[in-house]
Amino acid sequence: MSRGMPRASGYFRTDYAQDLALTQTRLERASLLAFAVMLAAFPFLATAFYLDLACQVFLAAIGALSLMLLTGYAGQISLGHAGLLAAGAFTAGILFREFNAPFWVTLPAAAAVGALLGIVFGLPSLRLRGLYLAVSTLALHFVVVYLGGEYESKRGYSTGIMIDAPTIGGYAITNGRVWYFVLLVAAAATLLICINLLRSRTGRAWRAIRAHETVAEALGINIAAYKLLAFVISSAMAAVAGALFAYYRHFVSVEAFSLFLSIQYVAMIIVGGMGSLLGALLGAVFVTLFPYLIEAALQQLPNAQSYAGVLFAVNYAAFGVVMILFLLFEPLGLVGIWHRVQHYFLLWPFKHRPVAGAGK
Amino acid sequence: MQLAVNIVVLSAIYALIACGYVLIYRVSRVLNLAHGELMMLGAYLLLATAASFAGNPVAAIAAAVVLSLAVGILVYVFLMRKMTGEMVLAAVLTTVALGTLLRGLMVLIWSAQQQYPGQALGFANPAIALPGGGRISTFAAILVVTTALVYGGLFVFLRFGRWGVRMRAAGQNPLLAAQRGINLHAVYALAWGLSTLTGSMAGMLIALDSGLTSSMTVIGLKAFPAALVGGLDSLVGALVGALIIGAAEVLSIQYIDPLLSDVVPFLVLIAMLIVRPWGLFGTREELDRV
Amino acid sequence: MSEPALLTVEKLEVVYHRAITAVQGISLSVRKGQIVAILGTNGAGKSTTLRAISGFLGIDDARVTDGSVTFNGKRIENRQPNEITRLGIALVPERDKVFPNLTVIENLTAPFAPAHYNRRDNEVLAYQFFPRLAELRSRTAGLLSGGERQMLALASALVCRPELLLVDELSLGLAPVVVQDLMARLVQIRHELGTTIVVVEQSAAAALNVADYGYVLENGRVVLDGEGARLRAHGDIQEFYLGQTSSSDRRSYRSVKQYRRSRRWYG
Ligand SMILES: Nc1ncnc2c1ncn2[C@@H]1O[C@H](COP(=O)(O)OP(=O)(O)OP(=O)(O)O)[C@@H](O)[C@H]1O
Ligand SMILES: [Mg+2]
Repeated sequence: MSRGMPRASGYFRTDYAQDLALTQTRLERASLLAFAVMLAAFPFLATAFYLDLACQVFLAAIGALSLMLLTGYAGQISLGHAGLLAAGAFTAGILFREFNAPFWVTLPAAAAVGALLGIVFGLPSLRLRGLYLAVSTLALHFVVVYLGGEYESKRGYSTGIMIDAPTIGGYAITNGRVWYFVLLVAAAATLLICINLLRSRTGRAWRAIRAHETVAEALGINIAAYKLLAFVISSAMAAVAGALFAYYRHFVSVEAFSLFLSIQYVAMIIVGGMGSLLGALLGAVFVTLFPYLIEAALQQLPNAQSYAGVLFAVNYAAFGVVMILFLLFEPLGLVGIWHRVQHYFLLWPFKHRPVAGAGK
Repeated sequence: MQLAVNIVVLSAIYALIACGYVLIYRVSRVLNLAHGELMMLGAYLLLATAASFAGNPVAAIAAAVVLSLAVGILVYVFLMRKMTGEMVLAAVLTTVALGTLLRGLMVLIWSAQQQYPGQALGFANPAIALPGGGRISTFAAILVVTTALVYGGLFVFLRFGRWGVRMRAAGQNPLLAAQRGINLHAVYALAWGLSTLTGSMAGMLIALDSGLTSSMTVIGLKAFPAALVGGLDSLVGALVGALIIGAAEVLSIQYIDPLLSDVVPFLVLIAMLIVRPWGLFGTREELDRV
Repeated sequence: MSEPALLTVEKLEVVYHRAITAVQGISLSVRKGQIVAILGTNGAGKSTTLRAISGFLGIDDARVTDGSVTFNGKRIENRQPNEITRLGIALVPERDKVFPNLTVIENLTAPFAPAHYNRRDNEVLAYQFFPRLAELRSRTAGLLSGGERQMLALASALVCRPELLLVDELSLGLAPVVVQDLMARLVQIRHELGTTIVVVEQSAAAALNVADYGYVLENGRVVLDGEGARLRAHGDIQEFYLGQTSSSDRRSYRSVKQYRRSRRWYG
């Protein structure tokens, strides 16, 4: 199901090594290589603005992948993703401020805090069928933002916490290109973790639950435990993304983690395509770039200045419209469109793929 | 005494909003996460009708109420109807998207500034002194009365009204309901209409009492725990839940920290989910424990 | 006898989840005023047939893939269930046949009756056939016993004022005495309201006692049909559904036919 089309003309795997390999055909390997080369060359060609944009995309991709695990595979909605990012960011910020902790302490700590929050808020709501997690993650968001705000005001960082650049062996990561590669590696690592999780027993259990909860239960899958596991893993990943975000921006403030940020992450997985990791990546790219596109479009309008104040409202409305359009007309998201384009060219000049079981 | 008045007023607000969540959840198992925005839209509709029915406040309010009912029905007919038969997840995500869209549109149309529909309609809002020594503003008092009337009306409608019984039937077993000749789309549209209507009334009264900004949606979100604590499918539960949440919030603002006001309802909710996940009045088997 | 058919099912085919063909080309015909029994073992496709007729397939992702259902001259396959009910077909399903959290009276209020009947009429109609319900009127339906629930289900179906009443497994989990009583009520309903009735039954004896005509299904096909009395007398029915035989190993109707055929062929 995850694989829309067989790339090779049949199932030719003869040993487990082939089954475990991430790519199947030479074409796949070649295009992946080309893409990697492009990614590696990008920072040497792009301006600082586009470099920053790329970094934002990578950060968003980590968050989107983690949310996709939860929503796209385990079938639970989280509206508190911004809260988890905030938890990670504040963990890093507070540990740095209070104990001057290095990043190799703060990042695992952020993951641990995320996982802990996942347990605390996931445990009560995931005992029930239905979308209770949506509400308890809302609770998570408000709690984290409240605690963060308290810390800021009690310690006198009323505008936010400053964080120094992380240092590796005496070298501080401040250069944009270095950040680009750091975040690229982080995003790629997250992707690999997700791919492997989904190929494991855990991933199969999640898919079974999403497809049919009762049947999954009948098959002896411990539904509550697997849902909780999905939320804990997803929370830990999101928290790490938040900590990376804090380091990247040198700055943490509750202002950055509004409910709208959570909605943007939800938009990523809807627009990208539910139940597909590629979809999470495409969604992250789309949602990160979309506000800039809107701004650019507004600039073209006659009296551009007058829109500056309502830009955020235009963003809200546009995100709402895009999400609704995708939910109604392309539930498979950008990935669905991508597969359709692929089919079109693969099958050209024919229009339709022979339907399985046609001709009865 | 003032504390008790504050608790009652806040509980009434939450209760009036929460019944909208309950109505929709009860008939279609969908959590309407756009309820806060729909409620705010009701308040802005009042602002709009106040401008067009200048000098005739009663007509303005009536028009806004009718419009909000229509909005709810239209939301179902043009949006949520397409999601029936899809997974509940998709329907809930659609309400999230709708909420985002509405919020953007409302700011674009009415700006994010604080507005006072009460002034636009020419209402004063004098405080009334209560026997025990407390004070309550006129519109807060009207809100409490409205909540009581709405709940009374809903109880009677759901218990004795033909369509009320049909709504409950459709919530329990949609397929059998359809099989008994009940038009499910009509029932769902009715639920959305009533839910938006009651939510909008809450929005209008809050706006009349204390003005209207785009932060009103947070009140809508905070009413959700009230619905859940009571048990999502029970109106009595929503009433009791609203009372609990309202009391917890007012007391913690008074005695602990005013900044807690956004957090407390959700803390109560988490506590409730740990102790009694199906809510105070929710039916256990209906929620299907995993 | 030459009265036109009220309900005609032709070569009906129903597929679950686009994979499982539960009904493969069933044809039935029901004339006005008849009581028709549909018999067959577990999984023969009886329920699926009834649900297809009444548009009750929805949530199971089942679809009518072929054939037609005609009621009063109108094609009704794949229509919405509420439309079909308003055309005059009411189904008493196998499970979940009442609204468990509504009271008995509310269960009689919820169904959509033609406009000129008020609530009082509905109750009178229900108590006319099932006086026991009058005593239970404010009891929650989920607390009723199986037999009482079946009565309520029949009554709430009657409230829709159907021309054709479809009853799935009248006898499911009920004591034989109760089954006989309910069967007698069906006859009474037909007699007093002129309602045409189709009953699906496992226990052929009870159904064939009241049925004018019967169909036997197996593996989604009609394998035998005939008038009630004739079916009751039919040897195979006696052997396999009425259990009036000494043979110890029970085989399906089909395998017996094959056995007989092969005996004929191979001598
Ligand atoms: N929801 C479903 N999904 C998949 N297959 C189904 C479903 N419902 C029924 N079937 C299959 O369709 C076939 C016919 O089922 P049906 O319920 O019509 O049998 P039946 O004759 O009513 O049996 P019983 O006497 O046990 O009620 C069976 O093989 C059954 O497994
Ligand atoms: Mg059956």
